[in-house]
Order: sequence, then structure tokens, then C-alpha cells
Amino acid sequence: MSKGSRWLKVRLVSLLVFFLIAFAGLTVRAFQLQIVENGRLKARASDQYRKTIDILPERGEIYDRNLNELAISMEVDSVYAQPCMIEDRRTAAEAVSSIVSVDAGSVYKRLRDKSSFVWLKRQIDMPETERSIVRGIRGVGLLKERKRFYPAPQLASNMIGFVGYDSIGLEGLEWRYNNYLRGEGMKIAGLRDARGKEMVFDDGDVSHASKGSSLILTLDRTIQYIAEKELLKAATNANAKAGIAIVMDPSNGEILAMASYPTFDPNNFRRYRPRDWRNRALTDLYEPGSVFKIFLVAAALEEGVVEPNDIIYCENGGYRVADRIFHDTMKHGWLTVKDIVKYSSNIGAVKLADRLGRSKYYRYINEFGFGKKTGIDLPGEVSGYVRKLQEWSRVTFSTISFGQGISATPIQLITAASAIANKGVLMRPYVVKAVVSPDGEVVKEVHPVIERRVVSEETALEVTEILKRVTKDGGSGERAAISFVDVAGKTGTSQKPDPVNGGYAQGKYISSFLGYAPADSPRLAIIVMIDEPSGDFYGSTVAAPVFREILKQSMAYMGILPNKGGESIKPVKLAAIRRTNDDIEGGRMPDFRGKSMRMVLRMAKRIPLEVKVVGSGKAISQRPSPGGKIGRNRTAEVRFQ
Amino acid sequence: MIIRFKDTDRVLILTTLFLVVAGIMMVYSTSYIMAMERFKDEYFFLKRHLSFTLIGLAGFFITMHVPYRAYKKMAYPLLVAATILLSLVFVDVFGVDAGGARRWLEFGSVRFQPSELAKVAVVIFLAYSLEAKRDKIKTFSLGVVPHILIPALPIVLILLEPDFGTSMVITAVIFLMMFIAGVRITHLVPLGVMSLPLIYYLVAGTAYRMRRILIFLNPWKDPTGEGFQIVQSLIAIGSGGLYGVGFGEGRQKLFYLPEAHTDFIFSVIGEEFGIIGVLLVFILYLSFLLCGVRAAWKSPDLFGTYLASGLTSLIVLQAVINVGIVMGLLPPKGLPLPFISYGGTSLVVNMAMAGIVLNIYKKGCEG
Repeated sequence: MSKGSRWLKVRLVSLLVFFLIAFAGLTVRAFQLQIVENGRLKARASDQYRKTIDILPERGEIYDRNLNELAISMEVDSVYAQPCMIEDRRTAAEAVSSIVSVDAGSVYKRLRDKSSFVWLKRQIDMPETERSIVRGIRGVGLLKERKRFYPAPQLASNMIGFVGYDSIGLEGLEWRYNNYLRGEGMKIAGLRDARGKEMVFDDGDVSHASKGSSLILTLDRTIQYIAEKELLKAATNANAKAGIAIVMDPSNGEILAMASYPTFDPNNFRRYRPRDWRNRALTDLYEPGSVFKIFLVAAALEEGVVEPNDIIYCENGGYRVADRIFHDTMKHGWLTVKDIVKYSSNIGAVKLADRLGRSKYYRYINEFGFGKKTGIDLPGEVSGYVRKLQEWSRVTFSTISFGQGISATPIQLITAASAIANKGVLMRPYVVKAVVSPDGEVVKEVHPVIERRVVSEETALEVTEILKRVTKDGGSGERAAISFVDVAGKTGTSQKPDPVNGGYAQGKYISSFLGYAPADSPRLAIIVMIDEPSGDFYGSTVAAPVFREILKQSMAYMGILPNKGGESIKPVKLAAIRRTNDDIEGGRMPDFRGKSMRMVLRMAKRIPLEVKVVGSGKAISQRPSPGGKIGRNRTAEVRFQ
Repeated sequence: MIIRFKDTDRVLILTTLFLVVAGIMMVYSTSYIMAMERFKDEYFFLKRHLSFTLIGLAGFFITMHVPYRAYKKMAYPLLVAATILLSLVFVDVFGVDAGGARRWLEFGSVRFQPSELAKVAVVIFLAYSLEAKRDKIKTFSLGVVPHILIPALPIVLILLEPDFGTSMVITAVIFLMMFIAGVRITHLVPLGVMSLPLIYYLVAGTAYRMRRILIFLNPWKDPTGEGFQIVQSLIAIGSGGLYGVGFGEGRQKLFYLPEAHTDFIFSVIGEEFGIIGVLLVFILYLSFLLCGVRAAWKSPDLFGTYLASGLTSLIVLQAVINVGIVMGLLPPKGLPLPFISYGGTSLVVNMAMAGIVLNIYKKGCEG
């Protein structure tokens, strides 16, 4: 600086000082951020990574006893957006709405949301071309989610129920077993990544770790189908208001079929009236009518007040009790106890009850389970109504003997009848045989529950003999009979109470048939109830044929018919549920442990393998473990620390 | 080697190279995931950055050998050329729209940012003009007016792109150079004060700039909206702590740090290398500053002094502003961090400027 003045030097030094001060300021700021506020900002950082999006877990399946799928989870796409990543929200909204059937206005409204993550449309099925368009929109991405799907839409829908948004069971088994089925709420952390729609997670595939457990039911799909088909046919033919058919294994209480009419499609449950969702087998109360005589005669025989062949005078069809006169449909004089049941004489029942005595009868009604819930593992069960003994009038006592003035659910009736079929031992009915985790591990297994012995084995066999005669020639239930196999059962035709005027409604009946077969070694107990059939309303003509069809076809399916050999219904095989993902060619897992996240991602890309990362730092553990087989979905989880 | 390196030469060269190497590392670290995601090639940005580095090294090598006095003759031609190029940005055939601004020229496959050239052109012009008018420097009409009016056109063009940050940096460097050249403080200060309303108008005049200003004052008020970028940057730097989370291991670039490889690359330095890394980068810039001022000091003529201090100020001031923005001390403006940020024109021009400073120093030692 030859000509440099002293002032120039001063000015150069000032320049130096100016910048030195600037850097001093920056250093102070760095110290403040990185040392003083380090803890707070670090916490905020990890908060932000851990801040997660709830991804619907993959809901467990529902299988019938032979592991046929009744409810499954289907992989569908959900469209999300990260509004803060989108610069031109208008354009993005229009682009999205052109693919997804949501109008641009509402998409735009959601994009204006301040949050960093919003759903635009959940659970839709879209072709690959549309997927790639959606992925192309900046700030918009796709996540794989699972949607509930019922492959056989109407099958057992009233029992299985359905699932609402957010994978929460709303009705039926889906509701009752929601905690098992739903699985751990899936949280995806990495997806908070701003640009990285597909970076670390490639569409954020929902890992199997979060999948819910599956249910294996006692239900048999084929028998359920038979029951529904026959019930639907009968109910539509009779133009009935409702109908129920239940098939149960009397020896252990397993429900093989439980059909309701009307029914609904759980895939589109919102299109149906809520009353169509009801599982009428346990939510609806009926006056059982003559089928109730089964329990009266069982009680009378058990108490030894009569013998099956004792004769009782049936008053030729008209019998006065207090201020009421009871009638029989057909006039009878002297009838044996057996024939009282066979011909379903109300007068005979009233006299039989008189011999038994009201307090004993009351006790047996309770022993058979009426007036309280059966405890079946389904929601919505009601307990029915049995008037307290002290409130029984003379007339009440008499009407109850033939099943009027008392209310019961179909499940109570079949459970009670099964107790007779099961040599006097009452089993608790149930529909869920087992809960199985996604790994095939049995989380919960349900064994048959013996509630109590109601009558002795001898009494049960005597009652069975009596009930067998019902379906023989001339019996009220002859239309329930099938060839080669003895059927034990009882018809019922009850009047419906009139809720408005009291008493019974004119022309409103419930036709029912309750029975089991083969009578001597019962395999199936079946109840059929047709609510308000128009025209013919007798249990013997409306319900008995339905019973017969269900029984005949089910037995043929089970191979119980004599000409088909004697193979029984298959027990539920839990081992078969274990899925063999291993068998699918997928390669072996490398050892990620000790590697940095960067290395892991790079290695995974090469395999290829989708890696779900948890934590940060060095890899400490992985699933599947090193050398393990890579599953069909090609995902792995690696934890870092 | 044609040039015999002395100590300061070596320091300046090493400083520049260290900064460039830091840039290469950080560009890779900040871009590999995004590059893999977008281009299925984790080295996509790194490769491009490396090729710019090669061009930059060539520029560095050339300018350190070109006698700096040659730029005197080129002062006007360069300024005119830069102005023309800046105008071409607004011609649809050449200009490229990116992120709502037109800052790029495209000739075939070559992309170029004329504002980077304009910065150098303005500094060269000022050094030339300030030296030419050294006797009249104390007068307002010759010492101040031409140095404000003549660069005004390119500055306004840059402002129109819009690139508020770059135009402010150039303006600030003009003031610094006039100060060095001995323009009266009594001229400079009122001028600065007078320009405040203009700056205010520019700031408040466009809604987005005003919003940015307001947000910088309290980014935490709206951490997911306007304050998002700053908040994420602060989180990145803050979570680095003393030693940082390690090279390549930063997570903020994955989670919400847009432009991590360009304007916000310093946040990732802070996150991955902690305060140690931050201070190292500061030391590199301070070293560059000291070398630059020494070159100015040693320069055999005033042109060299002004040129060296102007170029040094340009680089160091931009570094200070960038870091200040990233640390939430200044309103966000979108300026690259010299030598380190990804960006071809900027890197090549910065390295060429370093070469010029080196040449001035070399001449000073010879003279």
C-alpha cells in the first residue's frame, strides 16, 4: 500500500473489526442455541420425529371353524397431504380432486389447515396410474391402509357386525372383540418427513407388527349358509316380519349357525336400517309358545309327579281356570303325558303344571336359564322376562305352562333345549373358539363351559323319547321329520302380545320349531322362529319345514346321514391358522446391527427391502433377525439408538 | 507452480480449499437422501457439485494468475455485460422461472445466475471508479453520486427478479467500499438513513417480504406456517449441541428442512457437527477475511486495495448474513452460504473472486 494513508489503514482495520463483531455476535448466538437451549431444541426435535400419524392397524380376520374367511382386511390407499409443503394449494387441490372423488373446494379447505398432516381421502381403491399421479403432486402422498371387507357379504352379518371409520368395531363380534381384532394402533413416525413421501417408508406400508389378532369362530360357513338360505326362503314366502334360525352343537354349546332375517351387507351397512343390523337371536324377545312345553314336561318327569305314560284328561278342548277358558286346537279326551306333548295340548299342559306345582315349575324355568342371559359372547343379549313367583296369578301359572305370559330369546330356548339333548347338562353357548395372534399364537382359547345339570340323564332321555314322537306320524311336528334319522322337537305357535290394547294381537303369530337330531345322539340343536308370518301361521306348517331343511342339508354336509357314513363335524384346528409366509421366496435378512441409518437404508435399497426405522443413531436391533427369511411383504423394522 | 507461495498465499489457498471441501461434504450429506428419492442416485447432487468445483478450481487457478490490473479496463464492459445478462433473465427464451422468481439464464443445458456475475462486476467497477476519483472522493457529486447511480441499474434488475437478498448484499458492499475509499461519513450516513424508507417500502411493499420480516421476529408463534423454515433451522442447529449428531446422521434434513443443501446448509452443519463445526466454519471465514484485508493492505495500488476489500466483504458479508438468517437473527432472504452451498454459478464466481484476492496479495508482496 504504497500510497496508503494512515486513514486508509484505520478504515481497513475498521472493516476487520466490523466483521469480527459480526462473528462474535454469531458465536454468541451459536452458543445460545447449541449449548444453552440444546436440551429444549433437542427435545423438540425428537418430539417432532415421534409425532406420529395414526395409521389404521390391520384388523385381524374372522374365520369360521374351518378357517374360511368371513371378514378380512383389504389393502387400500389413503391420500394424505402435508399442507406446509404445498405452495400452490389451489392447483394441488384441483389435481387431487381430479383423481379422488372429493370436490376441490373441500380438499382446498383441508390444505389450508395449519397442521402438518391431513387426510384427503381414506380407504379408496385406485389403479396404479392414478397412484403415480397422486404421488407426483408435491406435498401429497399415499399410504397403504386396510379396509374391512366381508367376502360373503350377508353371511352371518348380524352376528359378525361391522366396523366404522378408524377401524373400530361398531356391532356384533367386531364390537365385542374389538380390542383383539384391532391390534396395536399403528404409529408411523418417519412420515412426518417433509418432502419424503416415499423416502424411508415407500408408501408407508403398514407393518405386520401392528396387525390385530384373528377370531376363529365355532360357526360353520356352510351350515350358516344353509340356515340363512332356508330362513330367507321361508320368511319371504310367508311375508314374515322377521325370522331367526340357530344351529348349535348341544354337546358343547358351540354355535354352528345363527341367522337373522332381515339381514344386511356389512360392507355397506349404512345403507340399511339399524333394525336390520340386529342379531335377533339374542336381542329379540318372544313368547315361546308350545315349544316351552318341553321344559314343563322335563320338570314334571324330573320331579316324578308323572310318568310318560300317565294319562291326563284334556277336557275335550275347553277348560276353565279362574276367569279364563283355555282351548286346544284339536279336542282331546284322555291323553298320555307323551301325547300331550305330541299333540301339543294346552289343557294337558295346564294340568301337568298343576301337578308339578308352581314353585317347582318356577325353579325349573330358572334352571333352564330363562329370565337371565345365557352369557353368549355376543353383544346385545337381553335376559327375557319371567314374572316373579309371588306375582303369578292362577292364570299366569297356567299360561306359562304352554309358553305364553313369559318371554325368552331364541338363544335361551335353544340353549335350554340343548340341555335336554345333552343328557340334562346345560352348556353355555359361544361363538368364538379362539383368538389367534398374527404370528399364529393362540392368544385365547375358549373351552366349553358347563353351566349346570338341569335334569337327570334319565329324565333327559325320557323327554327325548317324548319329543321323538312329535315328529312321528300324526305328531304336530311331523313336517320336521327326515328319513333315517329320529328327530326330537316341538312346535310352537304363539300369539304376539298387543302392546297397544293389552292382551294378544289379532292375527299376529310366531311360528317356531325347536328340536335336535339325531335324537339318540344329538349333534345338532336347531331353533327356527318366524315372526308374523302372513297366512298360515302354525309352527307345524311354517317353522317345521324350515327346521327340516336346515337339519337335512346340514347333516348331509356333515356326513351324518346313515347313507353317507358317520364322519362328524370337524373340530376347530388351530394349528392350521399358522400362515406359512416363510415358504415364499424372499431372501435372507442382512445384519444391520451397528450400522448407521444411512448405511442401513442403502443396504436395504439394494436387497430390496422396505425398512421401518425407529429411533436414531446406530442400529441396535432388527426384525426379522439377521439371517432370517424376508417375508412376502418385504418389510423389516430396524431400531436405532 | 508459477507462483511462489508465501505463508499468506498458502493460508488463503488452504482456507478456500477447506471451505470448498466442507461444501462438498455438506452437499453430499444434505442431499443424498433426497437425491436417492428423486433421482434414484444418492450422488446426483454431489456429482454436479463436484463438476462445478472443478470449473471453480480452474477459475481460481486462472484468476490467481491474471494480473488484477487487467480488470480495470474491463470495469465498464463487465458492468454492461452483467446488466445485459440480468435483463435477459426477463426474456422468456433465456430466463427460467424457479420458485416464483426469475434468477436463471439457460443456454442449452447450461444454467447460469447472472446476479452472481453482477456482484463481481459492480465491485470491480467501484474499485476502478473509486480509484479514478480518489482526489475528488470527498465531494458528493463525484465521490458518491456515480457510485450509487451507475450500479443502481443492475441492482434494480436483481431486485426485480426478485432477489432482495443479493441486491441488499451488493448495496451494503458498495457502502463498505465507499467507506474504505474515504467517502465522507457525513455523506454515507445520511444516504443510509435516506435509503431506509426505500428499504421499508421494498420490505412492506410486498406482502410476503413483510410476512417474513414479522415471522423472523417470533418464528415460534407460527412454527408450522410461516415460521416453519426458521423454526426447523433453529431446531437443527440447537439439537447439534457440542459435537453434533455426526456426519450424515442429521435428521432435520429428513424432517422438514427444505433447501437443506442450498440456503440452509449451515443448519445441517450445526446439527451434524455441533458448535465445534460451527466455530470451525467461522474460523475459516475469519481466516478468509484476514487474508483479504491483508491483501488490501499490501496492495501496491488503491484499485487493488478497493478490489480486495470489496471482494472479501462480498464473500464474508454474505456468509454473515446467511448464518444470521439460519440462526434466526435476520429475516429469511434466500442467500447461499459462500463456497459451501450447492449452486454452480455462486461456487465458480466465489472461487474466481478468491483467485483475484490472491493475485492482489501476490502483487503486493512482489511490489
